[in-house]
Amino acid sequence: MAKIIGGVGTSHVPSIGAALDKGISDNPDWKPFFDGYIPGKEWMAEKKPDIAVVIFNDHGNTFFLDRVPTFAVGVADHYDPVDEGYGRRSIPSFEGATDLSWHFVDKLVENHFDPLVCREIEVDHGLQVPMELFFGRPENWPVKVLPIWVNTIQYPIPTPQRCWEMGKVLREAIESFPGDERVVIMGTGGLSHQLQGSRAGFINREADEDWLNNIANNYEKFRNMSREDYVEQFGSEGAELIMWLVMRAAMDDKVDLKMKHYHAPASMTGAGMVVLENL
Amino acid sequence: MSDAQIPETPLFDRKGSIDGYRINKMAMALGDPANREAFKADEEAFLDRYKLTPEQKDAVMSRDWNRMVAMGGNLFFILKIAAVDPTPITAIGAAQAGLDHADFLKQRLGKE
Repeated sequence: MAKIIGGVGTSHVPSIGAALDKGISDNPDWKPFFDGYIPGKEWMAEKKPDIAVVIFNDHGNTFFLDRVPTFAVGVADHYDPVDEGYGRRSIPSFEGATDLSWHFVDKLVENHFDPLVCREIEVDHGLQVPMELFFGRPENWPVKVLPIWVNTIQYPIPTPQRCWEMGKVLREAIESFPGDERVVIMGTGGLSHQLQGSRAGFINREADEDWLNNIANNYEKFRNMSREDYVEQFGSEGAELIMWLVMRAAMDDKVDLKMKHYHAPASMTGAGMVVLENL
Repeated sequence: MSDAQIPETPLFDRKGSIDGYRINKMAMALGDPANREAFKADEEAFLDRYKLTPEQKDAVMSRDWNRMVAMGGNLFFILKIAAVDPTPITAIGAAQAGLDHADFLKQRLGKE
């Protein structure tokens, strides 16, 4: 069976990638943010995973409103970065973990999930930025990826409870996969931010800190919150945090919170990360 | 979800998706470099290609972000219009909050 070597929760704010592209990650606005990720990068380098499962949402870059999958899974052999309006970024293409992807799709459907299965598709900053934050800017990515898209753009978005259930299936799929691959699970998005409406610019530092402090071993309240609760506490786009639940559910009930980091604002977002290991 | 409203927070639901479909489709097309060139060369003709209503065209051409969102423009799509300009996302935030840019940065994001 493949092995889960850890779970990561992280923001995927696009301006993080833009800051790296412009070479301004060392300026006073950005340095504290990026410095906080150095231990995360070191952890990842030491753990040497073979596969990264990345749970993220598309931001109107790959999926248009003509078809909106609630959950989608990539089974492609590679994923190119998509042009988000500024030209395609010059980062390497992502190699797909196709065998594990198909196995995960089998397990999902056996467990009564009905994902969209994507054979040819590009990926936006939702996957790119977490990879850059934890693997830097290598010539080639040191891991294959298994992308999972969650619709957080057009309502109805899935419930937090459904995301949790998907995480349980993800764990089952990894643990029943015939192979010895080392797998890291990255739940991405958030933290608090709101980009639309007169509450635009809303950041809730207190709620963000509470999330980072408690997602490891006091997660029940987050698991039980409604979508409305997420929007109210974390902002309309901060509801992306439901995607961390997929990662959290795939880990043990009790975990070791190896590290956490918070910085606000990154662009218009409360940004940060946790790294979790099973005991 | 229920229809319970969260203050000052429009969710992109059925109404927004239907109302804003053309604006969003036009904006989505700006992910293609050839379409960005066409948009820059003759913006109105480009908007006509996507059959925007006169009100929608006016909102886009005057970069009235607040109205675009009110008409169902979803931020993630209309950000591609901002990418062409380019307009910073914080300016779009400020327009919706009804604040000037400096006040928005200070009051909402805590930036001096």
